Amino acid sequence: MQHTKTARKLVIASLLIFAATLTTLLARQLNLGPIRTVPPFRAFGPKTAEIQIYEYTDFACPSCQAAYLQLEEMLKLYNGHIALNFKHYPLVSIHKWSFHAAAYADCAGAQGKFQEYAALLFKNQELWGRAEKKPAEFFDYAKKLDLDLSAFEACSNKDETIKGVKLEMAEGDLKGVNATPTFFINRKRVVGTLQLLDAAKHFDNLLKK
Amino acid sequence: MQNERKVKTILAVCSRIILGGVFVYAGYLKAVSPAEEFAYAIEGYKIVPVWAALWTALTLPWLELYLGLMFATGLFTRFCAAGIGALLLGFEVLLTQAWLRGLPVTSCGCFGANGSSSLAGEFAQNIALLVLAVLSFRHGAVFSLDSAVDRHG
Repeated sequence: MQHTKTARKLVIASLLIFAATLTTLLARQLNLGPIRTVPPFRAFGPKTAEIQIYEYTDFACPSCQAAYLQLEEMLKLYNGHIALNFKHYPLVSIHKWSFHAAAYADCAGAQGKFQEYAALLFKNQELWGRAEKKPAEFFDYAKKLDLDLSAFEACSNKDETIKGVKLEMAEGDLKGVNATPTFFINRKRVVGTLQLLDAAKHFDNLLKK
Repeated sequence: MQNERKVKTILAVCSRIILGGVFVYAGYLKAVSPAEEFAYAIEGYKIVPVWAALWTALTLPWLELYLGLMFATGLFTRFCAAGIGALLLGFEVLLTQAWLRGLPVTSCGCFGANGSSSLAGEFAQNIALLVLAVLSFRHGAVFSLDSAVDRHG
């Protein structure tokens, strides 16, 4: 009798565990978990904007460059109604220097020049993206923007900086990001520039809500 | 006497549901977030190597979620109360050694990336949760799946 009761409890426990696992994995896929904020220098537009965009991007990816230009336009067009949160997702298997670029961009951001540094990285991605050795451009751009070079270098070697990029990559993996650019617009997944433009057609509707 | 037992039972059932809920919440938040996030928090305690921190971050949230869920619904209540109590004691040891070593722990990792209070605050919170675990261990088996199965089994 006691064995039967224990067996029943074990069956119920298995069902509960199965349901909890399924729910949690679904929540991951549907992006229902807590949203990790980005550093202030990578957040553009008001925090309370009606349209919240999280972009997973790679400085060496050509589509990301195109998306960057589109987003710049959108930010101007929907000024005050869009919040863009820039997240790193360097595709390290195909872009050798993407991870470094992300870390350096954050270090430029720490000195208040993220946007300018990111613009230079995107604009010249052909130049540094295919380099065999570590590209000198990373420092050239820092010089061009009058950054404190010793602080810039120290920051790029910091554990905190590297962990920050790795954490965003892990977050992207968890959300099923496997291509760049991937956007989450009000939690809805959008992949690539064409889908972004398609989603933008509905921005007016989102603003009417 | 009868009233006293009733009060104890009500308190214990409430404790079980609250404590189970806290564990479900804590486990869920971490399970839907990147394991690396929790792993970095564990690394801050400087007690296990990096690989062990990641391994712990991958498994502990699920353990918390399952234990919390079974505990809140009252399945294997005493076993779960003991398990949760043991986890809480483990957390207390981690917090104490961090405090004694003066480690700059900025996030306890308890509820994922959500802000955490000071080490002393987290320590006190865990003590309160331990009290709930003890209460539930002793009197928390009523209004539970355990009692339902035992009654109808």
